[in-house]
Amino acid sequence: METIHFVKIFTYIPELLPFLFVTMEYVILSMFFGSVLGFILALAKLGRNKIWKSLANVYTTILRCTPSIVLLFLLFYSIPVFIKSIFDLDIGSSETMVVVVITFSLFLGASLSEIMRSSYEAIEQGQYEAAMSIGFTTIQALRRIVLPQAFYVALPNIGNTILYLMKEGALAFTIGLVDLMGKGYQINSETLGGYVLEVYIALAIIYWTISIGVERIFKKLEISYGLGSQCVKVSSKINENEKMEGTV
Amino acid sequence: MNIDFHFLQDTFFLALGGVPVTLEITLGSLLFAIPTGFFMAVANLNEIPVLQPLFRTYISFMRGTPMILQIYLIYNLMPSLLNAVSQLLGLSLNIFEVNPILYAFAVFALSETAVLAEVFRSALQTVEKGQFEAAVSIGFSSMQAYRRIVVPQALSAALPVMCNTTTDLIKATSLVFTMSVLDITAIAKTEAGMKLCWIEAYLDIFLIYLLLIITVEQLFKFAECKVRIYKEV
Repeated sequence: METIHFVKIFTYIPELLPFLFVTMEYVILSMFFGSVLGFILALAKLGRNKIWKSLANVYTTILRCTPSIVLLFLLFYSIPVFIKSIFDLDIGSSETMVVVVITFSLFLGASLSEIMRSSYEAIEQGQYEAAMSIGFTTIQALRRIVLPQAFYVALPNIGNTILYLMKEGALAFTIGLVDLMGKGYQINSETLGGYVLEVYIALAIIYWTISIGVERIFKKLEISYGLGSQCVKVSSKINENEKMEGTV
Repeated sequence: MNIDFHFLQDTFFLALGGVPVTLEITLGSLLFAIPTGFFMAVANLNEIPVLQPLFRTYISFMRGTPMILQIYLIYNLMPSLLNAVSQLLGLSLNIFEVNPILYAFAVFALSETAVLAEVFRSALQTVEKGQFEAAVSIGFSSMQAYRRIVVPQALSAALPVMCNTTTDLIKATSLVFTMSVLDITAIAKTEAGMKLCWIEAYLDIFLIYLLLIITVEQLFKFAECKVRIYKEV
């Protein structure tokens, strides 16, 4: 069995790390556009108009059934054709970063709309009614009472979405984007595949570290953010337990 | 925008020939991952020394690295590993004749194990400890208690999540073309490469996955109805 050059792994890590910014760029941009799209879709799903509602649901189902690499390539090839047929403008081939951001914004729109809808529905109607009863307007009640609680419910899912995006984004190298994975691929072709395993191990270490980091950050956020909102629930649960123990 | 409908139709039926390969990889990985994932979940919940930190690290690694990276790692590591093992055992195994679908099985089984271990862990946690203790108190062995009382109840919590992870698995198998396995994506891509009809080919792949996953979701819905009887209302 060929030996693995462990020293090489550590020389490749600093070479790969600058390209983390490219990865972060599409993660942040896709999160932003995905949230906008997801918000619109969630509004449609929660609204009363049946046509918009079913359209939003169909969109979510279709996107959930599509492998990301398929949409990535589909957009990569069809965007130039599309632009040419509408604006009569020949852009040659697609700008890879734009394709990646559009692809993952479309995916995130679907998943974030589900997260927003379910976390909004997780908040009891009574919370909203109570806010109205003490004289809040609808917007005030949503902004100060319902949405902060819904955000807390959504937090773990948002963390998972960011991790999902980072991992699926690694596929962007297939259309030629030079991000973390793309740089690794480039190094492999430059060294004629001499240190393939070392490069991939270095990449695995980087991705793994970031994943653990993001997970930790979101756990901390959850704890610090949950201080106010969960207090009531936890104490009422304790009371219930005490009562039950009392009766036993 | 002009789409070659003739090509679209022909390739659709050609690429359908890749569906058995996709299903084979999915089912094969699930067959391996369900028992091992369950074992990992039980070991993690019971905090078995040595095994628990080992499994935790494994799960965290598999969940923290991109699928494509795992594929490349195993695809580059396994042949030389297999070669070394076969030489050690004195087998005359020609590494270049190994069907690449074997590597696909290895990759997806390993990553699905990690995913399912987490699914089973949280599903088992939804069953109250009292259920297990009650079963033991009326004379069940812990094996019996798990099989007859805990697992059926945990299943009703696990199935909806398993539906999601299975569809994710099916979608992830579209990456096996990187290991030169001829699945839906690979067949359509080859066809497109010959006639330069990329958009049509990807539309076909898109449609096939859509149909495939909607079918699988319906099957899971059916199964969910079956296990719901274990859930007290």
